[in-house]
Amino acid sequence: MSKPEDALNLGSLDGFRWLDNGQSALSGNLLDLFRNLDRMFLSWSRECNASEYRFPTFISARDLARLDYFRSFPHLVTFPIVLKSEEENLKRFSEGSTLNAEGEVTLTDIRGVRDVLTPAACYHFYVQFQGEKLTSVKHVTTRANCFRREAYYLPLQRQWGFAMREIVCIGTADEVKEFLSRYQDRCERFFKRINLTVEFQNATDPFFNPSKNPKYILQKLDPVKTEMVYQTGLAIGSINFHRNYFGEAFQISRDGKEAFSGCVAFGLERWIYALLHHFGFDQSTWPRLDSPEEE
Amino acid sequence: MTRETEIRDALRAWIVKTNGKIQPDQLDDETPIIERRIITSLQVMDLILFLEKLSNRSIEVDTLKVGVFKNINAIYNAFFASVIE
Repeated sequence: MSKPEDALNLGSLDGFRWLDNGQSALSGNLLDLFRNLDRMFLSWSRECNASEYRFPTFISARDLARLDYFRSFPHLVTFPIVLKSEEENLKRFSEGSTLNAEGEVTLTDIRGVRDVLTPAACYHFYVQFQGEKLTSVKHVTTRANCFRREAYYLPLQRQWGFAMREIVCIGTADEVKEFLSRYQDRCERFFKRINLTVEFQNATDPFFNPSKNPKYILQKLDPVKTEMVYQTGLAIGSINFHRNYFGEAFQISRDGKEAFSGCVAFGLERWIYALLHHFGFDQSTWPRLDSPEEE
Repeated sequence: MTRETEIRDALRAWIVKTNGKIQPDQLDDETPIIERRIITSLQVMDLILFLEKLSNRSIEVDTLKVGVFKNINAIYNAFFASVIE
């Protein structure tokens, strides 16, 4: 994670607005940069003929529970909630002091929560393909607005809501490992072309109470996550080998055995941060993002 | 039967029993037990307890190195080879 001195003076940047709730609004050149980055990731996904999907904002709590998500990441989860629809309850809410001085809503009765705001783009795929018996390797991609509650937020670097593009491979262990290695190479060629200092480092997922979590201990002993760490210490993307964890949880098989999966994930706001930090705010100094022939 | 063979057999038997689905002939000393999730994260803590019993010494989780549970060879080399040689 970046040190405070690495924070950019984004207040002086046209097209950027930081919101107190840990989210940012983009327009103008910055929105162009966001779109161009995503277009580039999408063009990379075509190198493995990935099919593109668009998923909704919510994912069912039942599906996330199958991944043990609530035990592993309770500190990150964000729930959409609604009031119970009984007229008396709605009346009580609308006629009460709906907002307190801190800007907190004074709620009346809440309906049972069955959904979660998407915490990672690729989860939708395992739900989508559950029960499938694959006879060939599958490559897919999606971009999602993801939500992770954090103790603090920093513009572009650590946000409650952020955009994540993922390219996912579901297949045999060897197919997935080959895919991940190919995309690490893909990213390395790009960083080299634009002269961005990014190191690939073993990492672990941000588990709750990690020292007591066997999943964390296992990730330390058998790393499955490699982060793309920009020179300030900010991870702008990651390469993840899930083993057959999702294949087992969602009964996805590949040639009769539980499928393996892996993904390459890009945090778009963090990429924007790294490019602004390295190249400055002047758009004319930004690198071209559409020159794969040079990589 | 050498002590090394006994230990490797004991490791194999424990992994087969713990997994519950794999057959002994599907598990050689190079089979990647973590990558293939023959042993899951929850079972790794039991594996550590089993290794403590088998090697008769305590294991500090914080000091374990990357790859020690990769396969039977790696486990043998990490926890038993230096003691037996």
